[in-house]
Parts: sequence; C-alpha cells; structure tokens
Amino acid sequence: MKRIAHEAAKAAASVGALLIAAALGATVWSTARAAGAAAPPVLQSETAGVTPFAGLTPHELTYSTMDGLTGGGIRIIDGDTAKLVASVYSSQYANFAWAPDHRTLYVSETYWTLGNRGTREDVLSIYGGPTLSNEGEITLPGRLISDPKTHTFALSSDGRYGYDYSFQPAPAVTVIDLHSRKVAASVEIPGCGLVFPFGERGFASLCADGSLAVADVDAQGKYTVRRTKRFFDVMHDPVMDESVADGRSGLAFFVTYDGWVHPVQLADTPRFEKAWSLEQAAGMSAATSRGGQITWRPGGQVPFAYQRSRHRLFALMHEGPPWSFEKPGSEIWVLDARSHRLLHRWDVPESAYLVAVTADAHPLLFALSQSWLWVMDPDSGAVLRATQILTPGLVRVRGE
Amino acid sequence: MKRLDVDNLGERLTRRLAGRLSRRSALARLGALLVAAPAFPLLPVQRARAADAAQSKPKGTDFSRAAQTHDDKACNYWRYCGIDGNLCSCCGGSMHSCPPGSQPSPTSWIGSCINPDDDRAYLIAYRDCCGAKECNHCSCLNTDHAMPIYRPQANNHVIWCFGTQSFEYHCSMAVLVGLAQ
Repeated sequence: MKRIAHEAAKAAASVGALLIAAALGATVWSTARAAGAAAPPVLQSETAGVTPFAGLTPHELTYSTMDGLTGGGIRIIDGDTAKLVASVYSSQYANFAWAPDHRTLYVSETYWTLGNRGTREDVLSIYGGPTLSNEGEITLPGRLISDPKTHTFALSSDGRYGYDYSFQPAPAVTVIDLHSRKVAASVEIPGCGLVFPFGERGFASLCADGSLAVADVDAQGKYTVRRTKRFFDVMHDPVMDESVADGRSGLAFFVTYDGWVHPVQLADTPRFEKAWSLEQAAGMSAATSRGGQITWRPGGQVPFAYQRSRHRLFALMHEGPPWSFEKPGSEIWVLDARSHRLLHRWDVPESAYLVAVTADAHPLLFALSQSWLWVMDPDSGAVLRATQILTPGLVRVRGE
Repeated sequence: MKRLDVDNLGERLTRRLAGRLSRRSALARLGALLVAAPAFPLLPVQRARAADAAQSKPKGTDFSRAAQTHDDKACNYWRYCGIDGNLCSCCGGSMHSCPPGSQPSPTSWIGSCINPDDDRAYLIAYRDCCGAKECNHCSCLNTDHAMPIYRPQANNHVIWCFGTQSFEYHCSMAVLVGLAQ
C-alpha cells in the first residue's frame, strides 16, 4: 500500500508539472504571434498509395531471402545507395527471374492450402505493372524443393519461355510459354538436373555421369534430348551446381570443386573447350581432391559471376581442404576468361557466400555474407557502400 | 581401373537404362521398388556409397580428423560429416528419432563418415524430420562427400520430405545404416 501511495503522489506531481509547462508554452506562442512572426504553413493532407516501380535499373540487385524466421521473400536493393527499393512476396525455397523488359518478375514457388499441409500447388507467379503487383499465376506440374539453386529456373534470352527444373518424382524440365501463360512441355531428363537455356528454345542440363543432356525442339514443339560425351569426373571432382552461364551467348563455365573451369558453348551440338584451373591462373599448383591438400578453392552459395562485356569471371575463393566447396570466400578473384589469367584478388570485409556483378558499362560488384551486402568497385576492390540484409538465398542482376 | 568394380558397372548400366526408358516405365519400376522397399531399405544407394566410401577411407577427410564421438549436439560429431541443417538432437529428438510434432521422411540421402573410435567408415542416412517449422537450433553445414543436386542421392540441399504429409523442413537426423565396407 505504501508503495502505491508513493507512486500516486509521483503521478500527481508529474501531471502538475505538465500543466505548468503547457501554460508557459501557450504564453510564449501567443507572444510570438503578437510580434508578427509568420505562422508555419498548415501541413497538407495526404493520400496513401504505392511508390511507382519503373523497372529494375542497371545497378539494382535482387535477392531472395532464406531467413529461418521470416521465411521467403524477394528484395531489391539499389547499388548506388545501398537502400531497399522494393519487396515481393514469395514462398520459401522460391526461385525467380526478370523478363528482358526489366519490369516483369517471375517467381517459381510452392504453396499448400493449409500452410504446411493440404493440397500442394506449384506455381509460376507473375509480378509487374506500375507498382510491381501480382498479375496472376501459371500452374506448374511440379518443381524441385531444395535450398536455393540458381539454375533450377531460367528464362529464354528473349523472355518467351520459362524453364523450371522439376523432381516430382522424376527429373524433368517444365517448359512454360510465357506469352500464352501455359505449360508448353514437360521434358524428361533421366539422370540429369538443373537447366541452362541456350538459343531460342534449347536447354542443357548437367548429368550424374559427367555429361550434358541437350534438349532441342522441332517446329511442332516436340523436344528431343541427347547426351554429350562425359567431360568431367563426377566422383572425384564434380562440376558445381552454381556454375555460371550466360543465357544470351550460350557460353557456360562449368567449374569443379577443385577449381577446374570447363568452358562450354551451349548449342544443339555443344562445343567443349579445354579446361583451365583457377589456381594455375594465379600461378599456383592446380588443386586436387586427394591427400587433404589445403589450398585456394572456390566455394560458397553462389560463388561465381560473369561479366560478358569484359569476359571477366569473378570467383569467391577460400583456403581449405577438399570437400570445402560451400565455405564462404575470403577473397574475390577476378579472372580473364579468355586469357585464363588472374587479374585481381580482392579482400571482402567478411567472408562472402554470394557474388554478383552488374552488366552495364560502369559495373558494380556485389558481395553478400549472411547478414551484409557490400557494394564494391570491380576494378579497384574498394568497398563503396554496405548495408545489412536478411540471409540471402539467390541473387540476380539486370541482364543487358 | 580401380573404378571398374561391380557397383560402378551396375550404376552405368542403370544410368544407360534410365536414359532410354520413358518416365512411365520408370514410374512402373519405381512403384515396384516402393512396394518392395521394406524388404531392402536403402540397398542400391547403400552399395553405391559403400564403394565410394571404401575408396576414400584410407586418408580420411579434414572433418574426420577433427571429429569427436561424445557430443551429438555439436556439428563436429562424427556422424554429421555430410549434414546440412538443424540437428534433431538439439530440437527434442535424437540422431535417429524426430522431435515430437514432426514426422520422419521415408526418403533420405546416404553419406559415409569415419568413426574416429574404430577408424571404420559407416553409412549414414541423413533423414529429414518434416511438418513443424524449421527448428533453427544447432544449424550445421558439413559437406564430406556431398554431391551436386544433379546427383540427388548424395545431395544435402534437396528437402528430403518426400512421402510425408508436409514438406515443411524441421531438422535432420543422422541414422547409422551399417558398415560401409
């Protein structure tokens, strides 16, 4: 009781002080008005709306989140300001791609009618218009649910077709006609996975025996799948899922755990070029998976980015033993993909899991840890800006 | 030449067949496999992984050299050499039982880990528990012998919740299958 009485007395004293302050304030305001000082303008009433979205700019980065608490989601950050520009809803384990108009965003995702159970719905959701709003969905026959993988979903370079890798239960690629918004074909790729589009309608997939599956289509829309020769040793040094491919030129760089780069010109009959080593490009011995060798190796979640205009390959690198292909990179190596030379080694402030580079004439380099985004100058390695982010899953920048 | 063992020949034959058969016939075989599954759980994958493990055993890996055998709530516990996700041991379950509120998937991928106490390689089934929200405790990422996703039977990025009521990932178990030899 004593404590309550004390609190009541304190509250009464506070109210009294407030009243005195208010009276004093009113007196000062009246005096100022009497002296002829201009009154501040009345604030204008507002209408709530949505900030327009004019399309992804050349320096904007799009990333999906895989934060355990917030679930999925897609965010756009402006590399020139390191500020958040827009957000789009997505399910967990979604993949996404921008249409060539830089305004339409396709999201490959999965929902259940009762949240974690009920009827499963695999869809390709479409976002666009002046405010990046939902414009409907295309129902998919299935899709792979996995940790984020860049090459589970892609568009043809002209944006006419979408390709979605499915594992439901057999490996297949769903081809989606984005003009008619219908599934055009489901192409079985037994023993293979992922999808790397090339040309107008073709695509390739990596296979578990070390070869490629190449799918080509005839005038009636019927796909034929053929296997190429084996070009890597899948048991001892497999090609990483997160290899990098330029959909427009069809040039792919399939990079192995040990850092061997296999350049392949994707086509109906792919052209396999001689493999080269990231480590040898840096004047070191080539890495090997035998003997527990500690050396520089590629690694991370999205460890490679390719800048077509200057033929530059960016690789997240770390010092580690065999099987450390998911360790984040303490350095970004910048390599000339034509001369196979190492041009630069840039430190990152904190080991990075993902890397991306913009495709414009004044490019920005992005390095992402699990909680930070650093915007870097690809030519000097300088960190220009930084911002905190949610745990990133995949990254995409605007293609040119 | 060492690779030309029975398992490898078997795998090549299987792949060649898989490359020629349609999904319909593949589904028919899958159906037969599912029916017979209780009789030979994990056998084909187990044999393939045993061959891989036998080759990698003599040298061990960076993980196996630092692994321990007493704390199953730590990422360096020997069975977790290829685990990616939350340890069910930290979420109310164990290495071979799901926490209450979740259910085990009948499917899994198979890895092989070396037990430092006896220096033997064992086959480990990395089996996901599904249906509850992600546990978010004891998150580990170990990658010994983990293969890319185009070789899914040895991949730890696939959400292995096939065959359960829900694809919601909760945590991962490391169930001992047997000796890899």
